[in-house]
Amino acid sequence: MSVLVASLAFGVISASVLAIASIGFTLQFAVTNVLNLAYAAVMTASAYVAYEVNQAGVVVWVSALVGAAVGATMSYLLNRVVYTPFQRRKASPITLVIVSLGMTLIIEFGTQAFVGGTNVSYTMANGPTLGVGSFVFTGAELGIVAVAVATMIAVHVLIRYTRLGKAMRAAAANRDLARVCGIRTARVVTVTWILSGAVCGLAGVVFGMNAGSFGATSTDIFVVLILAAVFLGGPGEPYGAMVGALVIGLGTEVSAAFIQPDYKDVIAFVILLVMLVARPTGLLGART
Amino acid sequence: MAAFDSVSHLEASGTPGRPGASGTLRGGGSSLSVSSLTAGYDRSPIVHDVSLDVRPGEIVSLVGPNGSGKSTLLKAIVGLVDVMGGRVLLDDADVTGWAPEEIVRAGAGYVPQVDDVFSPLTVRENLEVGGYLLPKGEVAGRIDNVLEVFPQLRRMLTRRAAKLSGGERKMLAMGRVLMLQPALVALDEPTANLAPAVAREVLEGHVRHLADIGTSVLVVEQRARAVLQISDRTYVLGGGRVVMHGSPDVLASSPEFVESFLGGTRA
Repeated sequence: MSVLVASLAFGVISASVLAIASIGFTLQFAVTNVLNLAYAAVMTASAYVAYEVNQAGVVVWVSALVGAAVGATMSYLLNRVVYTPFQRRKASPITLVIVSLGMTLIIEFGTQAFVGGTNVSYTMANGPTLGVGSFVFTGAELGIVAVAVATMIAVHVLIRYTRLGKAMRAAAANRDLARVCGIRTARVVTVTWILSGAVCGLAGVVFGMNAGSFGATSTDIFVVLILAAVFLGGPGEPYGAMVGALVIGLGTEVSAAFIQPDYKDVIAFVILLVMLVARPTGLLGART
Repeated sequence: MAAFDSVSHLEASGTPGRPGASGTLRGGGSSLSVSSLTAGYDRSPIVHDVSLDVRPGEIVSLVGPNGSGKSTLLKAIVGLVDVMGGRVLLDDADVTGWAPEEIVRAGAGYVPQVDDVFSPLTVRENLEVGGYLLPKGEVAGRIDNVLEVFPQLRRMLTRRAAKLSGGERKMLAMGRVLMLQPALVALDEPTANLAPAVAREVLEGHVRHLADIGTSVLVVEQRARAVLQISDRTYVLGGGRVVMHGSPDVLASSPEFVESFLGGTRA
């Protein structure tokens, strides 16, 4: 019983990290129409800058804000300097995926060139703890869950109740139609890169906090989990990404209590494949 | 049809017309003048040297066989297709080559033939997006005005547009355009895939009333006989060029037109 409680608790924490990353990823994909696989590399680079700030004596949560700013800046530049020129030349979506893979390598090895090949860890205070049954959440873990909930609420408010959010959803649904409603979609796309990039940078920091230590290539597998959560929920659906992250996070951690933990990431794909056979548009994907 | 008795309410509601520089709205239509327009995709012209004009309160229809360039012409006018030559004037403003979002700000509205609503959004959200350029405080009132024109939409405000029938979608698409009360409305086959009775209601009710409140209407339509009955003037396109134009009466007296578009019998 205590193993199950512990695995559920780890699942909630993993799902929280995954939810933050997946929401940013799916928002970016929906509005910009770029399946940006360099997202995870931006996460890592942002986490590293936050690490340097943290090592200078800044509290890790304040460092996370710096990480978010770095993610926003990098994503803006990635779009402006790399993806937009390709889109202007009417590059196909698959071409952009290949370009993003190339950018993954450039960013990852660029990061490694600066910071070296060793893993690093944030300096964090233990903070208050919370016992749930036999499991004790650390202050950092509680903070990660709280940040995930806050991110989900913020994204919900953004896309449901703000003018910008409605413009983002309209542009995601039908860009030409959005334009003939007077929406300056190019501006909306730019803002989306910045906002989703900020979420990406934040996700990088909480990923590093949860992992304990991280290196320049630590998110190589994690991006695959992001894709699983995003496509499980329905690509381009922020609420789907939230649900997908919960299913994948809990599924992988709970399965690790019963099977060899090395295989837990495989479970994510078993869940994804079964779900996509049953519902190809994903759990909440209802685009027609 | 009774639904359209309230169209005039839009005109009298205090905020008709398109957004002006001061944030106020003005009613009435704009004249559209297209001269020697050549347009197409990827530097390949589809429309060649087309000239036409639409005056305020007038319905001008475009008919022609499939592939004659009717839809491309509309898209070029609203900025969705590259203009390679000629000019598009909306009143005195030369909007040639402008981006669609800027042409909409100049007073044009456009309803495409397909993908005419935001499927994942609810009916209310579609209308809100349609009123994107309105001051925030005016959106709810304008939705009420549109719902007086299309009362059927009122009971489906929380429904996703993807779940609507063809006729309901078309109502929503036209309602979305009405949110800004544009001076010019370009409609691309508004009766496509609609049952005959619904198609008749769209043309004789919705489209006719747009013109009645002073809007300039340019409509592409495959149902030549039906659209002739509501048109003030009609242009016939063939191979991307205007091959014939005139009033419905004049066209209906042309054996060539009757043979090609009215199945050999006069309208």
